[in-house]
Amino acid sequence: MQQPWLKPAGTPPPRGVPDDFSPASVTWPLGRVILVLGLTMLLLLAGRSEAMLDAAYGLPILPGTEAAIAAAEAWNETMTALGLPQTMRALRDALSLGR
Amino acid sequence: MLFPTGIFAAFFAVVFLLHWTFVATRPGLVRPFLLAANLAFYAFWSVEFCVALLAVGVWTWMIGLLAGARRSRAWLWLGIAGTLAWLFWFKYTNFFLQEVVARLDWLGMGPTPLLDIVLPVGISFYCFQAISYMVDAYEGEAEIERSPLNVLVYLTFFPHLAAGPIVRAAHFLPQLHTPPDRFRIPVTMACILILGGLFKKMVVASELATGIVDPVFRDPKAHGALDIWLAAYGYTIQIFCDFSAYSDMAIGFAALLGYHFPKNFDQPFRALSLSEFWRRWHISLSTWLRDYVYIRCFGGNRRVVLALMGTMILGGIWHGGAWNFFAWGLLHGAALGVERALGGKVAQGAKLLRWFITFHIVVFGFVLFRAPDLATFAAMMQGLTDFATPSENASWRLPALALLGLAFHFWPPDLRERLERMLRPCPPALLGVMAGLALLAILAAGPEGVAPFIYFQF
Repeated sequence: MQQPWLKPAGTPPPRGVPDDFSPASVTWPLGRVILVLGLTMLLLLAGRSEAMLDAAYGLPILPGTEAAIAAAEAWNETMTALGLPQTMRALRDALSLGR
Repeated sequence: MLFPTGIFAAFFAVVFLLHWTFVATRPGLVRPFLLAANLAFYAFWSVEFCVALLAVGVWTWMIGLLAGARRSRAWLWLGIAGTLAWLFWFKYTNFFLQEVVARLDWLGMGPTPLLDIVLPVGISFYCFQAISYMVDAYEGEAEIERSPLNVLVYLTFFPHLAAGPIVRAAHFLPQLHTPPDRFRIPVTMACILILGGLFKKMVVASELATGIVDPVFRDPKAHGALDIWLAAYGYTIQIFCDFSAYSDMAIGFAALLGYHFPKNFDQPFRALSLSEFWRRWHISLSTWLRDYVYIRCFGGNRRVVLALMGTMILGGIWHGGAWNFFAWGLLHGAALGVERALGGKVAQGAKLLRWFITFHIVVFGFVLFRAPDLATFAAMMQGLTDFATPSENASWRLPALALLGLAFHFWPPDLRERLERMLRPCPPALLGVMAGLALLAILAAGPEGVAPFIYFQF
């Protein structure tokens, strides 16, 4: 058992070896982890809807490409209606100060 | 496939779900699935090199079996020689041909054409891990694997395949003997590492690269002293933010799959001596060099200065066949030798002065490291005092980013653990939303597009 987070609490770390993980690391079961990563991914997809649409337009012509483009267009339209791409653009402008 | 891209996000999502599904339902399929995922990841660069990678894996397993089970030093040396020959072919053939070309021209024997050799991504890393397994199996530090599957998964594991960290066989292989625990996944620290890595790569390293480092190193004579100074410091911060970002993300992604890699960077620019710097910088390589080269090849404490010099030169040319890497290794070897010769006197100096000297030796070394040739390095050195040429690249944002990159080194060493403790009470939904918003902010703050990681070329 080499993973530090699986070792019993109080196990001393190996001498002289720094590590970010320890027996005290916060661990969660898979279901909760899926919720965390799922929400992160959903926000990523929402905030990057324009980039996804660009990527879909750049796909090679294969069976399914049209459906992928249609899905990306629909997703981007929904996100635009919610104002997300505009917010992302404003955020990008604000964060590019001094560039 | 680069970590900060949509295609990797999709790849990782699929691998994550299937991996944990197999852990829960068919544990016997976890390792075959991981091997398939690793090869799919590598196939994005080259399908041919996947075959080569598998061949190195089978060779490593076979040598481990023959050298380890029979305690045969001959098999061990054959295994190491074969692995190094593979590495040398890709990394150094053209360097030696170039040197031969120069000599043959001088003798009037005509040029020798260079070979069209493409360097496989991550070759140095997986070759060093292969040697680690062979030696550890021979010496009894690592268990001898009867089946090739574990060795193949160890060598090809996708989070560390392209640019490390160099994980020791004795540390990683036992993790494959039992499926990871799906009820105890360190998600908070993994997210902190991945998002922190993304910030360093996307916001600091990418902008320093495109804003100052690349233009100045491309043509130092066209830039004034301020630009040159900023590029020198900027590259030092860029290479830290780029390389440590990759390591942090690799450690984070591996942790999300239930596997542990040791830390690879520990605030290296706060070091007060060169030896301390090497205990904090690219820890997996420096400890590899210490254990397998310095101690085993140069005999550790005998003729210390020569051993240090030899080890550091090997560490330098590990990056590739070029004189600037040799000179970089020589510089660090010489500086470590001087430090050793001075002994306790080094520790008696004022802390700030010791830090200043150490940091500037490191910066000087990285200018040598980054320069495409020694002529560019000389032009950079001349440009440091060229205040006549205007400096057009230096805006306030770039020095601010460089200072931010330096400031990471002076934050509390356990900042991530403190952050993790602070986030402990957060429910999963809140953590997911915070991680998603942080991700979007990082993507918005960095320049468009993603440059490959610096260490992919090694």
